[in-house]
Formats: sequence, C-alpha cells, structure tokens
Amino acid sequence: MRTILLFLFICIVAAGGGFFAYRHFAHAGNVVGKPLPAGIQMNDLDGKPHALEEYRGKLLLLNFWATWCGPCLHEIPELVKLQTEFGPRGLQIVGPAVDDPDAVRGMLGTLGINYPVLITAEPETMIKTMEQLDNPVGGLPFSLLVGADGIIIRRQIGEFSAGELREMISSHLPT
Amino acid sequence: MTRSTPTMRAMVVALGALLSSVSAAAGTDALWSHKQPTAADLLPPAQAFALVAAEQHQDYIDVSWSIAPGYYLYRKRLAFAAEPAGSAALGTAQLPVGAKLQDEQGDNEVYRDLLTARLPLHGGRAPTRLRVRFQGCADIGVCYPPQTQVIDVVASTP
Repeated sequence: MRTILLFLFICIVAAGGGFFAYRHFAHAGNVVGKPLPAGIQMNDLDGKPHALEEYRGKLLLLNFWATWCGPCLHEIPELVKLQTEFGPRGLQIVGPAVDDPDAVRGMLGTLGINYPVLITAEPETMIKTMEQLDNPVGGLPFSLLVGADGIIIRRQIGEFSAGELREMISSHLPT
Repeated sequence: MTRSTPTMRAMVVALGALLSSVSAAAGTDALWSHKQPTAADLLPPAQAFALVAAEQHQDYIDVSWSIAPGYYLYRKRLAFAAEPAGSAALGTAQLPVGAKLQDEQGDNEVYRDLLTARLPLHGGRAPTRLRVRFQGCADIGVCYPPQTQVIDVVASTP
C-alpha cells in the first residue's frame, strides 16, 4: 500500500514538474542565454548600414514592428517613454521594421519614435532575420532584450505589458 | 509468481513518473488547443490562414480560406491577381461582410473561420493560377507579415 501511495505521489509531482517545465521552455525559446548572432546588419532610413554590434555596451531592446501591425503601434508609445526615461542610463531601443521603407517613413512622425528605426530593402530579409532569432512564424511585435554583454536575456512574441517592460528594463540596466 | 525486487519497483516508479510528465504536458496542450493560442503555440501562417482552393465556375472564381480559431484576416489586405500577370481579366473581388474590429489601424472588417472571395471573370478567360495576398493576426495580439501565395485554379466539381 505504501509503495502504491509513493508511486502516485511521484507521478503527481512529476506530472506537475513536466507540465511547468514544458510551458516554461516552450515560452523561453532557444536563443535566451546565448549571444546575439554576429553579423546582423540593417539600414537606417537614410540607407546607412548598421550592425547590431554597434549597440554593445548598452541594454538593447530590439523591437521588430510594422505599420500594418496594430499591437506594434499600440506598444510603441510606451517604448518612446522608456527610451526617454532610461536612455541616459544605458538603454537603447532599436526598432527594425518588417515593412516597406516608404510606409515606415510615412508613419514615423505620427508615432514620435525617438530611437533608431532600421529597415531592409525587402521585408522578406527582415523576416529571415527574425527566423534566425527564434521567431519562426514571423509574428509581430517581436522583441529581444540583449544585455550590455551581448547575451540575449528575453525573447517575446507579442506585446509586453507596460509594467512588465519597465520592470524588465530597470532590472537589467548596465551598472 | 516472483516478488518484485526493489530495483524493479524503482524502474516502474520512474517509468510511471516519466509517462505522467509527458502525458500531462501533451494532454494539457491538447486541451488548450481548443482555446486561444498562446505566443508559444502560434501556428505558422499557412496553417493559421489556410488557403484551401481556387475553384473556377462559368464566369467567376471562388477563392476560399479556412481560418483557425483565434485568428482573423483583414478585408483591406486581400489582393488577387492572375498568374502569370495579364493572363486573364479579373473583376473586383466580391467579399462577404466581415466582423467589425477597431484597432490602432482604425475601423476594420475582419474574417474568421471560413472566407470565400468571389472573383468575376471578364472576357471569358480564366487564369490557370492566382497570386493571392492576405494578412491577418491572432487574437492574442500578434500579427503576421503579409502572405503571398500562388494557387492553382481548378474546375469546380458539380
């Protein structure tokens, strides 16, 4: 009888552990804890190329977005506030746009974006970059938080809540 | 009947625990699959917005999608063209009335579950293939890049 009870207890504990481990790792993605891949390059709206290595030494929030993505447009005002508040303390938000460059230019003024927006000649190139960064379905908004040491801290498909974003950034600012 | 040894009992316990953990994870996911998708189990766009068929009738083509639960397509982001370009003259797509959705892009009409777009044929010529463009999102607040797919036009079955 004791053996059966022990068996049941272990099964329940293992089931719970398996479930939580599954959900946790399913969300985490496989880039977290690894360095941001080298050699990723995009252009600014003037056509000047930028490598993501340029931002090493700062807490980098890469926020992939598009003008056709409602949740992205909803999230951007909070990012603008955070860049203003935490920029002097080492935060650098960068917004790679999965979009047509003219569509992006047309919306920049409305959005009041105060951080670099990067594009590629073809949106498909940006989609491939997102795949490389563990976003196989190409969903937007897509964010990666990268530490000052270049290690990816967090991967997120979908919006952050304002509180979560603020807490995450303030707890990882470079010292 | 031989009594089980402690080693055997331990193996049975370990096996049971392993099976329980696997079935808990898989079973819970199966249960959740009938609810809203989460960011972790977002469908690839081809499954979220499955372009099912382009069926040719006498003077129109019906293009249909099967849209997964929890996902929707924007009316204003549907586009159709004959493939190769200019191989047939297509009229303006006739679309059903969609559900209203207000978001950061203003007032929109969106489609869920099943969608059929009717393309009138002008000049009596039908294309052999269609280039179809569409874009949609998941209810959890994730949007997919515009998709372009080329689909064969097949004769309708009576």
